[in-house]
Amino acid sequence: MIDVAQLKAHAKGLLEKGTVRTVFGYRKSTAGLLAEPAGITEAAQADDLIFDPSCVQNLALYLVNDKKHQAEKRSDDKRPVAVVAKGCDSRAITVLLQENHFPRESVHVIGVSCEGTGVVDASKLARKLGNKKALAVAFDGADAFAVTTNEGTQSIAAAEVMAERCLECRSAHPTLSDVVFGEAKAERGLHTPFQAVKAKIKESEGDRWAYWSRQFDRCLRCYACRSVCPMCYCDECVVDSINFVIAPDTTAEEKAERIKWIERSPAKSESAMYHMVRAIHLAGRCIDCAECERVCPVNIPLRLLNTRLEMEAFETFQYSPGSDPELPTLTSSFRDTDPNSFIR
Amino acid sequence: MTKRTGVFVCHCGNNIAATVDVVRVAEELGREEGVVYSKDYVYMCSDPGQSTMAKAIKENKLDGVVVSCCSPTLHEKTFRDVTEEGGGLNSFRCEIANIREQCAWVHSDKPKATEKALKITKAAVKRVQHNQSLTPIGVPVTRKVLVIGGGIAGIQASLDLANAGFEVILVEKNPTVGGHMIQLSETFPTLDCSQCILSPKMVEISKHKNIKLLTQAEVKEISGFVGNFKAKIHQKAVYVDPETCKICDDCAKVCPTVVSNEYDVGLTSRRAIFIPFAQAIPATYTLDESACLGLNPVVCGKCAEVCEAGAINYDMRPKVITEDIGAIIVATGFDLYGKENLGEYGMGKYSDVLDGLQFERLCSASGPTGGHVLRPSDHKEPKNVVFIQCAGSRDPETHCAYCSKICCMYTAKHATLYKHHVPDGQAYVFYIDIRSGGKGYEEFVQRSMERDEVMYLRGRVSKVYEKSGKMIVLGVDTISGKNVEIEADMVVLALAMQPSQGTADAAKTLKIGRDKDGFLAEAHPKLRPVESVTGGIFLAGAAQAPKDIPETVCQASAAASKVIQLLSKDELMHSPTVAKVRLSHCTGCEMCVQACPYGAIDLGAPSNKARVNDVLCEGCGTCQAVCLRAAIDVKNVAQVQIHDMINACLGV
Repeated sequence: MIDVAQLKAHAKGLLEKGTVRTVFGYRKSTAGLLAEPAGITEAAQADDLIFDPSCVQNLALYLVNDKKHQAEKRSDDKRPVAVVAKGCDSRAITVLLQENHFPRESVHVIGVSCEGTGVVDASKLARKLGNKKALAVAFDGADAFAVTTNEGTQSIAAAEVMAERCLECRSAHPTLSDVVFGEAKAERGLHTPFQAVKAKIKESEGDRWAYWSRQFDRCLRCYACRSVCPMCYCDECVVDSINFVIAPDTTAEEKAERIKWIERSPAKSESAMYHMVRAIHLAGRCIDCAECERVCPVNIPLRLLNTRLEMEAFETFQYSPGSDPELPTLTSSFRDTDPNSFIR
Repeated sequence: MTKRTGVFVCHCGNNIAATVDVVRVAEELGREEGVVYSKDYVYMCSDPGQSTMAKAIKENKLDGVVVSCCSPTLHEKTFRDVTEEGGGLNSFRCEIANIREQCAWVHSDKPKATEKALKITKAAVKRVQHNQSLTPIGVPVTRKVLVIGGGIAGIQASLDLANAGFEVILVEKNPTVGGHMIQLSETFPTLDCSQCILSPKMVEISKHKNIKLLTQAEVKEISGFVGNFKAKIHQKAVYVDPETCKICDDCAKVCPTVVSNEYDVGLTSRRAIFIPFAQAIPATYTLDESACLGLNPVVCGKCAEVCEAGAINYDMRPKVITEDIGAIIVATGFDLYGKENLGEYGMGKYSDVLDGLQFERLCSASGPTGGHVLRPSDHKEPKNVVFIQCAGSRDPETHCAYCSKICCMYTAKHATLYKHHVPDGQAYVFYIDIRSGGKGYEEFVQRSMERDEVMYLRGRVSKVYEKSGKMIVLGVDTISGKNVEIEADMVVLALAMQPSQGTADAAKTLKIGRDKDGFLAEAHPKLRPVESVTGGIFLAGAAQAPKDIPETVCQASAAASKVIQLLSKDELMHSPTVAKVRLSHCTGCEMCVQACPYGAIDLGAPSNKARVNDVLCEGCGTCQAVCLRAAIDVKNVAQVQIHDMINACLGV
């Protein structure tokens, strides 16, 4: 079982010594069950840090955002930042390192193991509790959550209210860390990997087309999925024409040759294109934190799209994104043992 | 974006015009935005066609040209030259719309094919309107050649190049040059002694001042590009100084280890310290590290003790040699198809079932039996010998689909030689067809049948088995329609030729393509048969396809002449259609660096972003495909061009 006091002490120590600029972690939210991400810069704030099943967010995103903010501020503080990372979050950091997004020494990874249980799925929990409102959720042994409601605390089997991705998780323990809290339990093994997507692709092509047509038709194009994704860090995105990068060296010709690949209007075809492009760009990079799906205001099952490609990468090329920062990325590498002999 | 595009639509006689309404294509294109001139002509590539084009470019002040015709691999150069030399317009302002191979030849419905031709041409117009004028990049040339493989192909190519005044580095994996040819006894159709015709060339190799011979060496790494390659060559430690070795054989006499002799294809043995054969080049003994007891005077050290010349040195170490070279000839040859794959013919089970090379050794005066055909099992003269052709060839289900080309001829030669050695013996040949195209070849086969009374049986052998101490060959004679059972004293299999292991390794190291059977792929099967798809790398010999000695020598000389042509210029022109980084979009994720097959990209100043080496870049666009941020474009295949081309095809 993870000892949060140790985690707090470690964060406090880092900030006291000034070895890191900021610690990104979780604290109790003022607005509901789920924890909120917190970037703390003072040692005194370390006491606010928590780690429990409500800590669902992927904090790798804040490393990406922090890099942007530092650049905007033209800060010359080169100290590293610390980040609390679950197994999935650590994989995201690994992918960012593979892509040279920041150097390894600029980040201090405080690994936390979610051990036997993963994090909670707030909507599953709400359905389970019916009229009762969850106020807090804590780990309760290796396979249960202790859920506090206005009527007291009860123990619920974790598998019933766990996030889908945690059920399928293949490496719950951080693959990359400078320090780890909690026991190393890598395999959870509640569901077989890619179970949800495998069930989906069994459906007929017509059914799937109808399903996704409906889903893409509902997309609002709010880009919440893009905003929450640590891998979507491009300054300029192919899907919308409002964020074209104009740098001092951008020529008039380049400005004139800006291309609008996709219309901004949330028409079905355009939204389908948006989601497909995003899925393809995440192939071999998505580490299945499922944040895109969680933040979607209209509940589009985006995880299915991304895990479909993750499955392809795993089954065809035995590639698991985020397993090793030294590996080249999937789409840029070639091995003699890869299938399709025509390339040879 | 340019505003005065000209379109030239070619009929290609009837090649295009029969399936595409070329007149309509020219008319409709004339109405496209930015097109000021559009015309069809029966043969655009003809002299009048070219003149029309040059004149139209000048008269209409065209700033972009699209030629709607055949594949750019054929006439892109022609039309770009016309654009530049005749029209006075930069040649990169000319693009080809392929409406022949990609349209007329693959469709039959004329209205639909015409629609497609329109789209292809309109897309090319959109592309050319964004094309930039580019200037080829001049690159100096290293006038030195690397030849990989010291068989007859490599020997011939090296000599041709060296005699033309170029420096040659000849790399051979084995302790001697000579390849498979030096193992042969006589060569068809003239039956001249293989050693006698090859060894003078080998001697010439060793004496030639322009040739640096590296035996027991392998090319481990090639970087760079046509005209400027860098090769990293690993040379094994040989432990015998070739300069001091007197070839007295004292060392081999005392060597206690005995291993199978590769030169005799396992029919004899040799010592750990040995000379492959008397005429070996370099003429020196060599120590086989893998067989030696330990290169350690404490363990053995007998050879060093007896060597009066003091040529043996256990402290020699492998060498890594780096060489700058301008061109490469790959002549890595063939291996015989693995006998373990042919269990039905008893290969490996019966010692009197031999492969073609082993039979060559039996016939050879320098061979294990001193030129007498004797059975390996009991050293008796075989009276009935069965030759089985197509052992592993022409068998797409289980073995190689292709014809190994030389086996018909060498089997006829084997049967003839056998009759010369054993006049009272009988030779049988099982065959599918006799393929004897070549000067004097058919006559040779006929002679073997008529004069040497070789019994040719048309059919395949189903198995070779043993019955009361005799080998029985069970086959079918499809002409009489009867099953045939022959009591054979010896069976010789004409095993298929397959690309050697060295060929597979070289293909990987040099990053050159192989065909479906693993032979090295030529750039064009008819018109560029000695060039690989990579500039500056040429092919010779059986590494490219099964072939006999005359053909191998032809190809080797052809490859040498291609190299001479390449290296006789002071400067090579490199295509300027190379990748260009948009620094504003590059995040330095390194994906393009990893994906580039030419090692042309690295991360560098100012801010660890991608940087393209124009000379290494081949403009393949792999980087463009992997870049998530659209931060790298190939010149004249930019994003905006692809976007506009797609729109043109979609008609939006």
